[in-house]
Amino acid sequence: MLHHPTITHWLTLSALLFSIGLYGIFTRRNAVGILLSIELMLNSAVLNLVIFNRFVASGDVDGQVMALFVIAVAAAEAVVALAIFVSFYRHRHTLDVTQANQIFEQTDRLCESGNSTP
Amino acid sequence: MHDGAISTFFFYLFAASSIALALGVVLGRRLLRSAICLIGVLGCSAGLTLVLGFEFVAGIQVLVFIGGIVVLLLFAIMMTSQGHTFEQQPTLRRRVAGASVAAAFFAVTVSVYMNADFPVPSAEELAVSHEGADEIGRKLLSNQGDGYIVPFEVISLLLLSALIGGIVIARKHAPEDQDQDQDQDHDQDLTNHPTDVGS
Repeated sequence: MLHHPTITHWLTLSALLFSIGLYGIFTRRNAVGILLSIELMLNSAVLNLVIFNRFVASGDVDGQVMALFVIAVAAAEAVVALAIFVSFYRHRHTLDVTQANQIFEQTDRLCESGNSTP
Repeated sequence: MHDGAISTFFFYLFAASSIALALGVVLGRRLLRSAICLIGVLGCSAGLTLVLGFEFVAGIQVLVFIGGIVVLLLFAIMMTSQGHTFEQQPTLRRRVAGASVAAAFFAVTVSVYMNADFPVPSAEELAVSHEGADEIGRKLLSNQGDGYIVPFEVISLLLLSALIGGIVIARKHAPEDQDQDQDQDHDQDLTNHPTDVGS
């Protein structure tokens, strides 16, 4: 017979999801794969906020409001990260994060052209 | 919706499927399949939120997480794959490092949870209905001490700047040549042409 889930069950579930995302961050080499793992971890954080709202502060809605904020920030983060990935792929033709070890190649050119038009 | 055998059943169902799909996200070597598994994980998570009784947050999770973010990720995977979306198997060192860090985090967190003394809500507290969309809206827009009007406005600014930043970073090439021609003709009064900044 299954136990009725208590708050410890819920929190263990979200900690397990977070750990799986952590493993993904350590093992992936593709930048989009790392972003997938980060979304997994953000999702478990949202779940944690909602769980605490349900079981600890049952009369308030602060946990739900915080969950909405986390979702909005996750959307903004995904947009900027994907723009960076597309730009990086256009220059290097790869998304391997172990190859992403310099940023000055393009920035030099950018600074020069910026300074040449005072 | 919290009491009863039905919510218990749905909790274990969604928990098992979300863990299995999360392992699919992390362990698979095909990125598209991982993204599809991520859709499943987020859907199960929305179901768990529904089991907790928060319909509004569950709906937002489906709309924004699945409808927005994962679709964006799918776009990125398709744009940045040269016909192959495989990824080679990670080295043993990476796998050992990742597994040990994840296991250490999980062990520490669960030991904290086991020793923590959470306040157990009474039955009538848990029976409070949570049809909370109007309450959430009032909380978001209230300028009282416990309101969230300032973070709400900051979030809107953040989304706007992320929109503009995404366009600026990911646009194709700065239109240098045409701009230089036009600049000599038109630009006596506009010393700072805005398109020159990012070129």
